Amino acid sequence: MADIVFEGVQRKFVQGGKEFLAVGGVDLTVADREFVAIVGPSGCGKTTCMRMVAGLETPTSGRVLVGGKQVTQPGPERAVVFQQFALFPWKTVRGNVEFGLRTLGLPADQRRERVAQSLALMALTGYEDAYPHQLSGGMQQRVAIARAYVLQPDVLLMDEPFGALDAQTRVVMQEELVRLARTNPKTVLFITHAVEEAVYLADRVVVMSRRPGLIREIVDVKSTRIAERWDDHARIEDVMDLNSFVHMRSHIWRLLREQHLGDDQ
Amino acid sequence: MNFSDRNLGRREVAGFAAVGVIAFLAIWYAAVWSGVTPRKFLPTPLEVLSELYRLSVEPFVGYTLLEHLVSSFKRFFYGFSLAVTIATPLGLLMAISKPVRVVVSPIFESIRFVAPIAWVPFAALWFGTGIGGPLLVIFMGAFPPMLINSFRGALYVDRKYLEAAQMLGAGPVRQMTEVLLPAAAPSIVAGLRISAGLGWQSLVGAELIVASSGVGYMMVKGQAGIQTATVMSGMIAIGLVGLIIDFSLRQLERRMGRYKETY
Amino acid sequence: MFLRTLYSGSVLILLVLAWFALTQWTGVISGARFPSPKETIDALRIIFLDGYSNGRLHEHVLQSVLLVTMGFAVSSAFGVVTGILMGANKKVEAVINPIFSLLRPIPPLAWIPLAIVWLGLENSAKILVIFVAAYVPCVINTFAGIRSLEVPQREAAAMLGLSQPVYYLEVLIPAALPMIFTGLRLSLQASWTTLVASELVGAMRGLGSILNQASQDILPPMILVGMVSVALCGWIMTQGLGFIERRAMPWRSL
Repeated sequence: MADIVFEGVQRKFVQGGKEFLAVGGVDLTVADREFVAIVGPSGCGKTTCMRMVAGLETPTSGRVLVGGKQVTQPGPERAVVFQQFALFPWKTVRGNVEFGLRTLGLPADQRRERVAQSLALMALTGYEDAYPHQLSGGMQQRVAIARAYVLQPDVLLMDEPFGALDAQTRVVMQEELVRLARTNPKTVLFITHAVEEAVYLADRVVVMSRRPGLIREIVDVKSTRIAERWDDHARIEDVMDLNSFVHMRSHIWRLLREQHLGDDQ
Repeated sequence: MNFSDRNLGRREVAGFAAVGVIAFLAIWYAAVWSGVTPRKFLPTPLEVLSELYRLSVEPFVGYTLLEHLVSSFKRFFYGFSLAVTIATPLGLLMAISKPVRVVVSPIFESIRFVAPIAWVPFAALWFGTGIGGPLLVIFMGAFPPMLINSFRGALYVDRKYLEAAQMLGAGPVRQMTEVLLPAAAPSIVAGLRISAGLGWQSLVGAELIVASSGVGYMMVKGQAGIQTATVMSGMIAIGLVGLIIDFSLRQLERRMGRYKETY
Repeated sequence: MFLRTLYSGSVLILLVLAWFALTQWTGVISGARFPSPKETIDALRIIFLDGYSNGRLHEHVLQSVLLVTMGFAVSSAFGVVTGILMGANKKVEAVINPIFSLLRPIPPLAWIPLAIVWLGLENSAKILVIFVAAYVPCVINTFAGIRSLEVPQREAAAMLGLSQPVYYLEVLIPAALPMIFTGLRLSLQASWTTLVASELVGAMRGLGSILNQASQDILPPMILVGMVSVALCGWIMTQGLGFIERRAMPWRSL
């Protein structure tokens, strides 16, 4: 069972001698194989939350549990897909995807097989010996996702993974991720500031407030998605045309606007 | 006013280059033939070249030019390799480990301003005329740039690579060898070039003072006998070898640039 | 920041203590190999008060520093001007390049024997070698600096209808200034190293001569005094240049 539990999680930062609260106090449960997106204004702490699940940062109070165990450090069972890809430029595609498997201690032939599978899943077969700089942004991010998937992680953490891509590539990647998530469901925590993306991909959308980050509202998307049969439409633009989609998106937008209104007050 | 300095065609470049070379040779010959400089002090270019040839076949102060060069290069190579072998991992270590940095930094900063050549007296005292002497001097010349470049290269590695490696389960050793080292490689290779240049310089300096073979020694003996052509031949030989070393390292640098675009 | 100086200070203090311990207190390292603090202080006193190698410490320092400054100033002036001419005019570059590329790989120290043949052991020989040492980095870096002016900026200058002198003084050279100073810094280091080497080979006075004499007399404490003086002077001059650099380029956050 790979669920994510935030128990009273707080994160303080010290900058320039002053202390401030990045994450104010979060209690959240992501069920096993549930796809949860977190949206919120810049600086609301959403990325920090993900990094605490990843083990790249620790809460100053409260704790984060994955599969019942408290998170203390990073590891391949909580795979991360970074916004800037973070592929190793000096390794080939195969080298990058294989890197984490060596930690898991798999023998060479098993590694080769898993890498081939993962690359096929991300439509990268044939690019095994290419270097990252030879690939487009979209392809590089696919390698990053393949690298995460190959680990067969308990939990998948994605930090604005499509943020560095151009608009059209972004849409293609969103469609692919949906396809992947529906056929190969995993526990996913997805950070984004693009509301449409969140509504399209997630089962639930968590809306966070501005600093100090607190959960403003959790919107259940899945029931609407199933009721209104969004998955009948293969193309993203057809889904985004549906009234139910538009309503949901606008609702979340209004919640976010409240947060931004705080700037003027 | 013409602001765009247009690029010259290949023929033009060759033409101007020829002008430069001819002017240089003309001035040289003029100085020799006019008698402004005593013949002993300034041989003609041709005499220098013929001396260069003579030294490659006839031994001078014990060895031919090539043997002297090999002797010099061996010393350089040992000193340089030692410096690189110690400085590279030490620099990486300093970048990731605060305790190491705190201990090494002050020691390094105090010693690095001593000109490498100033180590010659102690080198002579401790090692006599053995290879240890020049080795120490070369090491002292080649070590600082290597350490600095290795340290800075690793320090400025983007955090995201280390985080990705940690996420993928790599321990500190793998992080150092499989992430830090490749990521710092461009800086390290640039350091190699600077280091080699300084090391080769230091070698020449050391050989001028404490050696019984090698190109520097050859030049000193030539100078003592006012054999200017010999001295100049030595200079040419040293310049050539230095050029070859730098060229090889520049090739290495270019090969590293294969995946440099994404840095 | 404070912690860092505290750590560095403690490490250095530990080193000094180790120095005392290994030489004076236990004698693990004999005085023939490395001087003890006491011997070094004695040597320092001698050279400061009575003099060593034909002069007292400040006389040596003055001699060396003066020579370096003279050589460096003349040479870097020539070097910067050459670099500007080569950088601004591709024809000049084409003419000078072959000879420059031929002479450049020859390390300055390799000029010492030739300088001695031509000029003996006088100061002029040392200035010649310093000239060679300081000239090359200045030319290379100034050249690179001039060439670093980007096309858009050049076009802006053309659009503004600048005259040649104004273009040089207010656009080209300021743009090249950071790299010019890099060249000056390298030149100064090279000048200093080369001078010490020349003095080591043969000189009556100067810091290098201290090292030479001490080496011949087999006097480790004096060698140490010489080395520390060399390092200190080198450091001070580098700091001085850094000071000038910051003043010359107030628009840079150095």
